[in-house]
Amino acid sequence: MTPGLQAYLTVAGILFAIGFAGVLLRRNTLVIYMCLELMLSATTLALVAFSRFNGTMDGALFVFFIITVAAAEVSVGLAIIVALYRRRHTIQVDHLNYLKF
Amino acid sequence: MDLTTVLATILLLPLASAGFITLCLRRRGYAAAAVSVVVGFVLMALALVAVLNWNGQPLHRSWEWIRFGNFAYTMGFYFDHQAALMLLVVTFVAGWIQLFSVGYMDDDPAKGRFFGGLSIFMFSILGITLADNLIMLFVFWELVGFSSYMLIAHYYTTDFANMASKKAFIVNRIGDFGFILGIVWCYHYYGTVDLEALRNLTHLNAPLLQTSAAVGIGLLLMCGFIGKSAQFPLQVWLTDAMAGPTPVSALIHAATMVAAGIYFLARVYFLLPPFTLHWIMWSGALMTAFAGLCALGQTDIKKSLAYSTLSHLGYMATAVGLGYPELALFHMAMHACFKATLFLGAGSVIHSCHHEQDIYKMGGLFRRMPITGLTFGAASLAIAAIPFFSGSYSKDTIITAAFLKGMNEGPQYYLVYVLVLFAALCTALYMGRLFCVAFLGQPRSEHAAHAHESSAFMTIPLAVLGFLSVVAGWVVYHWDWAQGRMNWVMPSAATEVFVPTYHAVETLAAQAGVGHALDLVAIALAVAGLVGAGIFYGRARAGDPLQARAPGVFQVLERHGWFDDLYDWYVAKVQQCACEMAAIGDLLIVKFVFVQGTAAITGLTGALLKRVHVGSLHAYVYWFLGGVLLFWAFALGWF
Repeated sequence: MTPGLQAYLTVAGILFAIGFAGVLLRRNTLVIYMCLELMLSATTLALVAFSRFNGTMDGALFVFFIITVAAAEVSVGLAIIVALYRRRHTIQVDHLNYLKF
Repeated sequence: MDLTTVLATILLLPLASAGFITLCLRRRGYAAAAVSVVVGFVLMALALVAVLNWNGQPLHRSWEWIRFGNFAYTMGFYFDHQAALMLLVVTFVAGWIQLFSVGYMDDDPAKGRFFGGLSIFMFSILGITLADNLIMLFVFWELVGFSSYMLIAHYYTTDFANMASKKAFIVNRIGDFGFILGIVWCYHYYGTVDLEALRNLTHLNAPLLQTSAAVGIGLLLMCGFIGKSAQFPLQVWLTDAMAGPTPVSALIHAATMVAAGIYFLARVYFLLPPFTLHWIMWSGALMTAFAGLCALGQTDIKKSLAYSTLSHLGYMATAVGLGYPELALFHMAMHACFKATLFLGAGSVIHSCHHEQDIYKMGGLFRRMPITGLTFGAASLAIAAIPFFSGSYSKDTIITAAFLKGMNEGPQYYLVYVLVLFAALCTALYMGRLFCVAFLGQPRSEHAAHAHESSAFMTIPLAVLGFLSVVAGWVVYHWDWAQGRMNWVMPSAATEVFVPTYHAVETLAAQAGVGHALDLVAIALAVAGLVGAGIFYGRARAGDPLQARAPGVFQVLERHGWFDDLYDWYVAKVQQCACEMAAIGDLLIVKFVFVQGTAAITGLTGALLKRVHVGSLHAYVYWFLGGVLLFWAFALGWF
C-alpha cells in the first residue's frame, strides 16, 4: 500500500507545526533559524506532494527555485548571525533588543 | 540718421551715461557731473534735431520683445506732436537743471550717485515720452518711481529723506496698482494695449466707450495719473519729496515727473469716458484751490513751491477734465519753464544761505543775489499769470475754458470756474509772499546777511529758464522763422499741439462776448493778490503774519488739512487692526490647523505605533501572526 496525499500533508503539517513552535519558544537565534528552515521544508514537501498527486510537474519545478532562494537566504542569515555574535558575544534573542522603543 | 535712430539714441544715451557713471565714475564726482551734463546737452540738441527734421507724420515703430502664447509684448516708439512737445520740454529743462546741479552739488561727496541717478531718471522719463504701448509705458513709469526714490533719498543719512523717499515710493505703488489693473483690463476689453491701435479702435467704434467696462478702465488708468501727478487722494507724497536736493525737486517734482502723469492722460485721452473726465475735473479743481491755500501756510520755501506745483497740476487736471488735454500740455510746458526757474532760484537761495530753507530766516536777498532775485521775480509773475508772461497764456485759457463749460453745460460748472479763479488769486498771494519775505526787506539771519550770488553754473540756467518763463507763451502769436520750422522759441511741430486749441478757446470766448471780461477778472485778481501779499507780508519781521493773526487757520494750512494725520491714523489704527486680525487668522488656521495640526496627528500616530516595538523577537512573530489572521479573516469576508 502506497501512502496517499493525506499522509504527506499530515507529515508536512506536523513538520510546519514543530518549526513554528520552535520559532515561538526557542531563545537561540541559530535554533530559531533552523526552525524557520524546517517550516520552509514542510511547505516544500506539501508542494511536491500536490504536484505528484495532480500529475503535473509544476510544483516539483518550483522546489528548485525554493531551494535556490533558501540557500541564498541561509548564507546571508548565517553571515548576519556570525557578525552579530562577533559584536555582541551572544545570539540569545532576549539580549538582542536594542531596536525597541 | 533717420528719425528712429535718433529717437533710439535719445532713449539709450542716458542709460549708457548712467551705467558708465555707476560702473566707472562713482568715486570721481566731477567726471560724473561732466558726463551727465554733456549727455544732457547732447540730448537737448538731438531732441531739437529730431523735432526740426520730423515731417509731421506720426511715427510708429515697434519691436517684439517677449511672446506669451498669442500675446506679443512689444517695445517701440510712437512719436507724434504730443511726444515731440514732451521730448523738448523734458530734455530742455533737464539739461539746464543738470548744469545747475554742478554748482548746487559742489560740496556734496556723493556726486557720482547723484548724477548717475539724474541720468537714469532721464532714461525713464524719455521712455514714458516715446512709449508706443501701455505696458512699455508702465515699465518706464515704474523706473521713474525707482529713480525718484533714489534721488529723494540722496541724503540717506537723514531720517526725513529716508521716510520721504519711502512715502513717495509707497504712495506711488498704490496708484500704480490701479494702473496695472487698468492695463490688464484694457487688454482684456479692447484686445490691445498699443496706443495707436487703441486710438483707431475707439475712433471707429465709439459705442465701445459707453460701457461700464470702459468707465472702469478709465478710472483705473486714472489711478496711475493720480499717483504720479499727486492728485487727490494721493497728493501727500509730493510735498515730503522736497527732502531731496533742490535740483531734484526742480527736475522731478516740478518740471517732468509729475508732468508725466498729465502727459499720460493726454496720451490716453481717447480712452477716458465722460464719467472719468468729470472725476478728474472736480478733483483737479478742488486740489488747485486747496493746495493754493496750503502754500500760504508753509514757511519752508521748497514746501511752499511744492504746494504751488500741486495747485498747478490741479489746473492741468482740470483742463483735461474740461475736455482740453491740449491746454493741459500747454500749461505743462509753460509750468515746466517757470516752476523749474522757481525751484532753481530757491536752490540758489538755499545754497548761498547755507542750506537754510525757512523764508523767515531770509530777507533782503534781492540786493545780494540780483540774478536769482530777478529770475525768481520774473517766474513769480509768470506763475501768477500777469499778462504777457508765459503763465498767463496757458492758465487764463484754462480759466476761460472752465467759464465756457459753465455757460454752455450748466451752472454747476461755474463752481469749477470759481475754484480755478480762486487758485489764481492764491497763486498771486503765495508767490508775492515768497518774494516779499525772502527777497525784500531786511535780512533776518546771519546767513541771509552774508549771502552772495551763486556761481555761473547756477545763474546761467536760471537766466535761460527765467527768460523762457517770460517769453515762452508768445508762441501763440505764430512768430514763424526758419521756413516755418520754428514758432518763436519752440519748433512748430511741438506748438502744433496746443496753439490751435488755444485760439479755438479764445475764439469761443470772444463769440460768447466774455473774452475780455474774463481776462480782466483774472488779471485783476492776480494783481490784487500780488499787491495784497506785498501789503500783508511786506512788513513781516520774525514770523508769519497770518500765523500771528489767525493761528487756527494757519495750522490747518500748514498741516494741509490734516491729510497726513488722517492717513497716519488710518495706517496705524484701521489698517494695523485689520493686519492684526489677519495675523490671528493666520495663527489659528495656518499655524494651528495646517502646520501644527498635521504635525500633531503624525506625532500621535508615531507615539501609538512605537508601543508595538517591544524588543522581543517572539512578540514580533505574534504581531505577524495577528496580521496574517487579519488578512485571512478579510479574505474570508468576515468584515
